[in-house]
Amino acid sequence: MASSEPEPAMLGPFLETLIGGLLTGVLYSLVALGFVLIFKASGVFNFAQGAMVLFAALTLARLTGAIDGREVHLVHFIVAAAILGSALAFVAWYAWREYVARGGGAIERRRILLLAAGGALIGGVVAGAYGKGSWPLWLALPATAAIMGVLAYAIERLVLRHLVNQEGIILFMATLGIAYFLDGFGQTLWGSDIYKINLGLPKDPIFLLEGVFEGGLLVDPGDLVAAVIAAVLVVVLAVFFQKTRVGRALRAVADDHAAAQSVGIPLDTIWLIVWTVSGLVALAAGVIWGAKLGVQFSISLIALKALPVLILGGFTSVPGAIIGGLIIGAGEKLSEVFLAPILVKQFNLAGGGIENWFAYVLALIFLLFRPQGLFGERIIERV
Amino acid sequence: MLYREAGQFKTSYGADQQIFPILQDRIFVLLVIVAAFLVVPAIASPYLYTEILIPFLILSLAAIGLNILVGYCGQVSLGTGGFMAVGAYAAYNLWLRAPEFNNLIVVFLFGGLMAAAVGILFGLPSLRIKGFYLAVATLASQFFLDWMFARVKWFTNYTPSGSVAVGKLEVFGVQIDQPVERYILILAIVVVATVVAKNLVRGHIGRSWMAIRDMDIAAEIIGFRPLRTKLSAFAVSSFFIGVAGAMWGFLRLGSWEPLAFDINRSFQILFMVIIGGLGSILGSFLGAAFIVLMPILLNQLPGWLGVKMSTALLSHLEFMVFGAMIVFFLIVEPHGLARLWSIAKEKLRLWPFPH
Amino acid sequence: MSARARSFNEVLLSVEGISLSFGGVKALTDISFDIAKGEIRAIIGPNGAGKSSMLNCINGFYHPQQGAITYKGVRRSQMRPHEAAEQGIARTFQNIALFRGMSTLDNIMTGRNLRMKTGLFWQALRIGPAEREEIEHRRAVEEIIDFLEIQHVRKVPVGQLPYGLQKRVELGRALAAQPELLLLDEPMAGMNIEEKQDMCRFVLDVNDEFGTTICLIEHDMGVVMDISDRVVVLDYGRKIGDGVPDEIKRNQAVIDAYLGVGH
Repeated sequence: MASSEPEPAMLGPFLETLIGGLLTGVLYSLVALGFVLIFKASGVFNFAQGAMVLFAALTLARLTGAIDGREVHLVHFIVAAAILGSALAFVAWYAWREYVARGGGAIERRRILLLAAGGALIGGVVAGAYGKGSWPLWLALPATAAIMGVLAYAIERLVLRHLVNQEGIILFMATLGIAYFLDGFGQTLWGSDIYKINLGLPKDPIFLLEGVFEGGLLVDPGDLVAAVIAAVLVVVLAVFFQKTRVGRALRAVADDHAAAQSVGIPLDTIWLIVWTVSGLVALAAGVIWGAKLGVQFSISLIALKALPVLILGGFTSVPGAIIGGLIIGAGEKLSEVFLAPILVKQFNLAGGGIENWFAYVLALIFLLFRPQGLFGERIIERV
Repeated sequence: MLYREAGQFKTSYGADQQIFPILQDRIFVLLVIVAAFLVVPAIASPYLYTEILIPFLILSLAAIGLNILVGYCGQVSLGTGGFMAVGAYAAYNLWLRAPEFNNLIVVFLFGGLMAAAVGILFGLPSLRIKGFYLAVATLASQFFLDWMFARVKWFTNYTPSGSVAVGKLEVFGVQIDQPVERYILILAIVVVATVVAKNLVRGHIGRSWMAIRDMDIAAEIIGFRPLRTKLSAFAVSSFFIGVAGAMWGFLRLGSWEPLAFDINRSFQILFMVIIGGLGSILGSFLGAAFIVLMPILLNQLPGWLGVKMSTALLSHLEFMVFGAMIVFFLIVEPHGLARLWSIAKEKLRLWPFPH
Repeated sequence: MSARARSFNEVLLSVEGISLSFGGVKALTDISFDIAKGEIRAIIGPNGAGKSSMLNCINGFYHPQQGAITYKGVRRSQMRPHEAAEQGIARTFQNIALFRGMSTLDNIMTGRNLRMKTGLFWQALRIGPAEREEIEHRRAVEEIIDFLEIQHVRKVPVGQLPYGLQKRVELGRALAAQPELLLLDEPMAGMNIEEKQDMCRFVLDVNDEFGTTICLIEHDMGVVMDISDRVVVLDYGRKIGDGVPDEIKRNQAVIDAYLGVGH
C-alpha cells in the first residue's frame, strides 16, 4: 500500500482479505462468546475455553472415525459408551429431579439409581452397536454434546463448587489447571494425531462479484457456512440471555451472587447451565475449526486469539464479543497481508507472522483510549 | 519445645523490624544457607545440579520477581516468559558484542536492567487497565517479544537457525564451566537477590505496592502516585525476571531459541507463585521446588510401578496430573504452600500444649 | 457536652459555586461554604444528598464541572488526589478503605508515605538512611497507636479486626500524615454508643491537641450538634442550610428535608 489512495487493482485483494478476515473473525467471536458467558455468570475468567474447544473437536473427530488410515480401537468406544451412558443417566436423573421438584410426586432414591443404570445401559448398547465402525454425524454430534455436558457438570462439581468466594485470580488459576488437564486428557483418550472432521461441506471456492473485479472475489464456502452457523448461534444465545427466565436468572447471578441466591436462584444449577452452554459453544467452534484446519493440539492455542477480542469488546458484552471478533479477524488478516511485507522489507526480518501479536497490540492501543472496552459502561468509582 | 519466642524481648524498633525476629528462625535460615554453599557441593551429582538445583534456584528468582508484581502489587502478568527472554537476549548481545565485559555479573545485571526498561514500557497500560484486562494485555508483550526475538535477526546475531549459544563464561576472571561452579554462582546471586527483595517488600516501597494492591483508590487519596508505584513494581519485578532469564540462558541451557521463553514459561512461573503463595518470598521458593520436582517424580513413577509407557502418553499424562494437582492445591489451600508452612510453624510454637 | 461557642477568623478552605454531575445526574449544584482554620465543620443531609461527593471534590478525587476551591489561599478548579494529600488534606472513608492484607502497623505507616524519601537503592540494602528513616517514622506511628489505644492489634492484619477497631485504624492512618485538614466520612456509622463516645473523644482530642481542622459527615444528630462548631446541610445536591448548630436546629428547610416534606 505504497500510495494512500487504494487503486482499483488493490481493491480486489483487499476485499478478499477483508472477507476472509471477517469470516475467521466470526470464529473468534464464537470462542469469545464462551468466555463471556462464563465470565458474566460467575466472574470466572475461563482460560480452559480453548482446551474445551480442542476436547470437543477431538471427541467428535474420534467418534466419527475420521482418522486417516488408522484403525479404530474398541477401547475408545467403550470409554465413549461409558461417558455417553453416564451422560444419558445424568440427564434422565436431572429430568426426574426437576419433575419431582415441580410436585410430580416423591420418588425413591433406588429408582433413580435404577434409572441411571438403565441410561448407562442404553448408552452402552448404542455405542456398542457402532463400536466397530465410525459413527454417523447425526449420532456423534449429540453424543459429543452430551460429553461436553458431563464435562461441564464435572468441572462445576469437582472444581468450582469448592472455590466459591475465592478471589478472581484463584479461579483463573483453577481454569488454567483445568486447561492443562483437558489438553492431556483429550489426547490421552483420543490420541494426538491430526484428525480431519468432514462435515460434507462444499470445498470448491466460489467467486463473488465477477462483474466488478477481474476474476471476482475468492471466498471459501466452508468459511461462509461456518460464519452462518456461528451467527445463528450468537443470535440464539443473545435471545436466551435476554428473553428467557433462565437468562434473567443468569444476569441476576452475574450482577451479584449473594443477592441472587437470597431471592432463591439456585447458584449451582445456574453455573451448571452456563458451563454446559459454553461447552456447547466450544463444540460448535471446535467442529468448525476442525473442519477448516484439522483437529490438532494447536487449536487449544488458536483459542488464545479470542482474548484480544475480549479486551476489545469487554468481558461481559455479547455484542462486544461479536463486533470485537470481526474487527480482530479482519485487522489481523489485513495486517498480515499488507503490513507484514512492508515490515519484513524495512527491518530485514526473518519472516512475517505478525498476526501472532497484532491483534493484541491493536486491542491494547484501543484500551488505552477506552479502558471500558467497546460496549462497557463508564465506571464511576466511589469511595 | 525448641521453637519458642518467649523470653526474646525486643528493646528497639530496629530489633523488632528484622527479617526474622525470632532467634530460631535466624539460626535455621543461616544453617540452610551454609549447607547450600558447603555441604551440597560435597555430595551432589551432576544430575542433581543440572536437573534439580540449578532450575530450582533460577526459577525461584523468576518467581520472586513475578510475586513482587502479582502478589505484592496485585498486577496480574502473563508475560513473564517474554521478560525472561529480554534478559537472556540482552545479556547474550552484551556478552557477544562487548567481550571486554565478559563478566557474568555485569552481563546478568545488564540483562536485568534491559528487562526492567521493557517492563516499564509494557507496564504503562496498567494505569488505565485493571485486573484481567491487564492480564490479557500482558499477553501482548509475551507474543510481541516472542515474535521479535524470532524475527529480528540482529538479536540472534544472524544465525540461520535462530538459536544462539554462549561459550566461555567468566566471573571476575574466574572461569565458570562445571555444574558445581555454575551452581555456586547462581546460589550466590539468588541469595543476594532474595535479601534485596525481602528488604524492598518490608519497607516503604513494599507498603506502597501492597497499598495499591489492596485498594488503589484509597492509596491514591493518601498520597501514593499510582503510576509511579505500579511502574516501580513492574521495573523491579522485570529486573529479577530478566536476571533469571539471563541465568537460564547462560547457565542452564547454554544454547537456546525463543521457544525456551514462550507462553508456557509464563504459566509455569505463575503456577509457582500461586502454588507457593501470593505475596510471600518464601512461597516463591516452595512453589518453584514443587513445580520443578513434580515432573521429575512423575517421570520416575512408571518405572517404580513397573509399567511401560510411551513418551507421548507420558507427556499427556503429565499434563493431566499437572492440571489436576494445580486444581487440587487451589482447593485445599488457595493461599499456597507458604500459608501451610506458617500454619505449621504456628502449631510448632504452641506444641506440645496447644491451648 | 453542649455546642461550643468558639470563634475563628482565618479561612482554611472555601468552596465556591461547585457543581458536579455524572452524565445527566446532578450530584452537586452550586455549593458554596467555607471551613475556618481550627474548627470542626460538619456536613449533614439525607442519604444521597451529595455529602460524600462534596468530600471527594475537596480532596481531588472528583473533578467538579463548575466552581473552584480555595485552599490555604490558593484557588484551583482541579487537582489530583495525591496533590491534595501533599498539601495536608487527609481523610477517612464511609466504607472502610484500609489495606486489608497489611497489618495495623503497616497501614498506619502508609499514612506517612509522603514523608519517606529514601530511594530504591538504600531500601534494597536497608542500611543507613533507609533503616534510620524507617525507625524514625515507626516512632511517630507508635505515638498514634498509643493515642488511639490500639497497641494490642499492632501486628494483626486489619482484615481480621472488628469494625470499630478498623475505623480507628483508618483514623490513625489519616492522622499519621499530620494533616492540616482532616476529612472524616461518617466516622461513627454502624458503631454502638460506647464506640461512638470513644470516637468522639478521639476527634475532639485531635482538634484540641494538634489544632487539626476537621470536616466530618455524620448522621447522628446528637453527635453532630455536640461536637461541631458549624454545620452545613445538603439536600438533593443543594445547600439548604449553613450555620452554628443552634441555627440549624431551627432552620425550617432543614427540618422539612429531614421530615420529608414534598419538593
